[in-house]
Amino acid sequence: MTTPVETIEKDKECPARQPGCMMTRRTFLMTGSAAAVSVSTISLSLFPGSAVQAEVVTYPRRRIARLSELNDDEPVDFNYPDSGANSAAMLVKMGGIKGGGGIGPRGDVVAFSYVCSHQGGPLQGQYKVAGNHRVLGQCPLHLSTFDLTRHGIVVSGQAYESLPQVLLELDGDDIHAVGIMGLLYGRAQNVIDSREG
Amino acid sequence: MAKEYTPGDSVPLPPKNAEKLATCCDYCIVACGYHVYRWPTSAPDGGPEADKNAFGEDFPTAMLKSWVAPTQHNVVMHKGRPHNVVIIPDKQSKVVNIGGDSSIRGGTIAQKCFNPDSPTKDRLTQPLMRINGVLQPVSWDLALDVAAGIGKYVVKRHGANAYSVKQYSYQFVENTYAISKFAKRHIRTAAFTFHDTPSDVTSTPGFRDAGFDNFAPSYKDWGDADVLMICGTDPYETKTILFTQFIRPAIDKGMKTIWLNPRETAGLAYAKSRGALHIQLYPGTDTVVLGAISRVILENGWEDKEWISKWVNNMWESSSGFGQGTRNTPWQWRTTWGKFQTDGVYGEKGYKQWLMSQKEYEPETAAALAGIPAEQIYRAAEWLTGGGKGERPKASFGIEKGFYWSNNTGNTNAISSLATVCGAGGRPGRMVGRFGGHQRGGTGGGKYPRNKSPEKVPGRRRRALDTDRWLVSGHTRLAHVVGTTWIQAMCGSDGLAEKFEELVVNNPHQMYSKDKGSMIATLQKRVDTGGMVVLDQDIYLRDPIGSRYADIIFPAATWGEEDFVRSNGERRIRLYSRFYDPPGEAKPDWWIIAQLGKRMGFDGFDWKDSNEVCEESSRFSRGNRKAYHMVKVAAHKEGKTLHQKLREMGTEGIQGPTFYNHATGELHGTERLHDTTLTEADLKRKGMYAGGNMLNKKTTHFNTQTGRVNIQKHPWSLFSDYWSWMRPKEGELWHTNGRINEVWQSGFDDLERRPYIARRWPENFVEIHPDDAAAREIESGDWVLMYSNRVPYHVHTIKGVEGDDFQFSELMKNGHIKLGKGAAKAIAIVTPAVKKGVMYSYFLSPGKGQASNALQGRVVDNISGNYNYKLGVARVKKIGESQYKKEFVHMSFAPRNIV
Repeated sequence: MTTPVETIEKDKECPARQPGCMMTRRTFLMTGSAAAVSVSTISLSLFPGSAVQAEVVTYPRRRIARLSELNDDEPVDFNYPDSGANSAAMLVKMGGIKGGGGIGPRGDVVAFSYVCSHQGGPLQGQYKVAGNHRVLGQCPLHLSTFDLTRHGIVVSGQAYESLPQVLLELDGDDIHAVGIMGLLYGRAQNVIDSREG
Repeated sequence: MAKEYTPGDSVPLPPKNAEKLATCCDYCIVACGYHVYRWPTSAPDGGPEADKNAFGEDFPTAMLKSWVAPTQHNVVMHKGRPHNVVIIPDKQSKVVNIGGDSSIRGGTIAQKCFNPDSPTKDRLTQPLMRINGVLQPVSWDLALDVAAGIGKYVVKRHGANAYSVKQYSYQFVENTYAISKFAKRHIRTAAFTFHDTPSDVTSTPGFRDAGFDNFAPSYKDWGDADVLMICGTDPYETKTILFTQFIRPAIDKGMKTIWLNPRETAGLAYAKSRGALHIQLYPGTDTVVLGAISRVILENGWEDKEWISKWVNNMWESSSGFGQGTRNTPWQWRTTWGKFQTDGVYGEKGYKQWLMSQKEYEPETAAALAGIPAEQIYRAAEWLTGGGKGERPKASFGIEKGFYWSNNTGNTNAISSLATVCGAGGRPGRMVGRFGGHQRGGTGGGKYPRNKSPEKVPGRRRRALDTDRWLVSGHTRLAHVVGTTWIQAMCGSDGLAEKFEELVVNNPHQMYSKDKGSMIATLQKRVDTGGMVVLDQDIYLRDPIGSRYADIIFPAATWGEEDFVRSNGERRIRLYSRFYDPPGEAKPDWWIIAQLGKRMGFDGFDWKDSNEVCEESSRFSRGNRKAYHMVKVAAHKEGKTLHQKLREMGTEGIQGPTFYNHATGELHGTERLHDTTLTEADLKRKGMYAGGNMLNKKTTHFNTQTGRVNIQKHPWSLFSDYWSWMRPKEGELWHTNGRINEVWQSGFDDLERRPYIARRWPENFVEIHPDDAAAREIESGDWVLMYSNRVPYHVHTIKGVEGDDFQFSELMKNGHIKLGKGAAKAIAIVTPAVKKGVMYSYFLSPGKGQASNALQGRVVDNISGNYNYKLGVARVKKIGESQYKKEFVHMSFAPRNIV
């Protein structure tokens, strides 16, 4: 059996079917801030009819680990998209439990921000295995939990959005971080323009 | 429908010169303080440096600091021009959401604002009338003239009670005052009630008769207890910030918690990881468990004797005003047959003696009924009192709907009595109350005309009319609905919908022209032939009340679109600022009512703005728990309006009832009601004895005939026939329902218009225990049908004569109960977090399906007149696999009780 491969299609423009996205993009361009960063919408699809829309900027491509070095259910820490504030993230192979956006032969390798999308609480050390479920939380600040098999959706708690997911690509044995779905807590934009200011 | 959620990865920051306005969250009772930052879209956004944004923070910001999530930004029209708004919790807040905490609902409240580029685009923006079967836009004048025309006719021809008003009780004092003034002072209809009850009755009869205000405690009291009993809710799920800011920090410092709940969610799981006692009982059995705990306490002599001798009514006090004279107090009529009244705790007719004589309060019997280990009853008794060893712990008792809506009178009586023997109710950290549901935004504009209600309970007193049964009996000729779905929000809702269908849709007299006279004439024929006309005021077109039944729809302006006043669950009164234009021609409900009132020939509807309504209403708030009258007195003294004065108080506001010291010019709030620790000097300092200040019993005493607590019996026999009849038979499971954190007091926005919430909960769910699921071959992610052919409906408006006429078994015997069918689809979540033999689902339906309230019996509590919404049974079967079972985008089947 072949594992469905996740495809990433970057459109040049925000598609017309996303009017909200258009508005955001317009606002974004009008303000002129960080104009060097291009915006596009990607479509992640695992199965027909289950596509996810994600609005992303152009991110650095960074090698973060080797697939062969990952152990089941043991998270590995890394920083992304830079090593600045609120860039702490985790990569985990979920013991054969497939996740949305997962890579590897079993689709079970996923990566997420460690910074709670509610009020920035640290999620280090909160990886939980419960049967076939893989959850990050409870956040020590306000007890939010996130489902790592479903793009970091809130299982229970107060976060305003899913936990930002670091998008991955597999190149041979190398795992690369290539983007983030969702805004990292504390940032006004994920990729900080170094020329700003 | 909500469009698919797209996570953003950038957000505009408010510039340094953005305007900042104070408001509070529109949703749950806790009412966190928020700030709205507004700047024109033509102006530059702020920058990441501290001197370039309105927060004065360098971005990226650190944990707990100001930040804007993409869901906290929106674009709205302000004075006709597009503006950015960022709505985030007030990071300087020292009350409620201290330091700017927020829930998933309030945290994303910016999404609520009307924006035609968002799923809010279907806001009602023009008056609509159903002409030739289709809702069509019309002018305000035509809609109002026809509504007033048929309204006047119905009252004149069919009597005031034929004009039924069903309104929200909470959506700001200006609106509730105007609507109830219209309904109760002018139309004078007894067919009047609020969104969450079939008749205008108390939610907590036991509290009322014991003398406890529902919202006496301050939020701080919940965390100042040594042991806290939490009944029928997980405050982390519903009451969120009350849990995260007050209860959880106390748990971390060692506060013990005792929970009565058939189900376990995140807050309860967290508390259990810190030693909490979880009494996981069957729905509806709280009374016997609490009675058994009281019995163990009294048997061992662990009760607070000093408190009891000082604050509990003895036989003479208990009898004062009872059975003599014309004191028509609820306490009097409910106790006509001695069902509840005691001579105090001790003595032959005392509470203790009664408790000892009732078999169901024997701990082992109670435990068997509730399906819990008896050991938990003994442990709870010991925790609440210290078990006679050492210093008595401060105990507090908080309840909510899972508790008071499963045996309304019995449960609220039993908790009142247990709290009283533990010495709770009138001291800091030792309080009794509701945690709360919606915010408190009701100010009565008239007196309920009880003597016009044809409904009478046995004894002396009439009971507020049950508007559902009145409608089902065919007496309602005009249903005026303001901000509620009416049908799904009530129990046994399928039967109610059938009647709307018959009286409205199936009547041959339907409007066909746009001529005012002929429209009114058609509707007159409708009501004269036994049919019913429906007026609906709302912000969205609701299904089916608006989309299928309404003849005339008035588009309402709401939160953020008008200056409004409301209070929260600790009686904190705040101004909710207007910060953008209402969509289209939408108008606030007070304005709509004023126009109708004037057209119907009523006086007193000439308000210019919402502040005028608020100022007129203030004197009717005097004496109630959120009295804001003295804020007006202070404002006028300072040459300000009431709204201006409240605006100055920002997100902190002031806790009601309010007092004004004329000598010092200071306004004072009230931290808690029934505060027996307040001294004469405290009262003088607040200026309570002078001009306009209204000092009443509940400030320092309890709401009873003597100011002391009535300790009451809670006979299981009043309820046990219903409970035993409901109890699951052959393949049935208990079906109870309730709220979830993600959609709590926010369903009017969230369910369909918050793309992220719609992704989390695209459909209703049902939690099923693994054993029950395995027996039915149900797995998480399967579509299941919950169905029942024995949903009891009480169908007749009757007069009670004999003492037990409203007892369920008597109603059944006398043919007043009809058995209906109910069904609701849901997606199964198999989890041991719910008790075996019990199913739990969301009470309405996030998807297009039938509300799970369809399965709950439509039989009111025989004493109070409230529905026991949380008590139902159903069979459940798999009907297929849902698309969500194996995909990675929507829902989550991970347990909510992971710690």
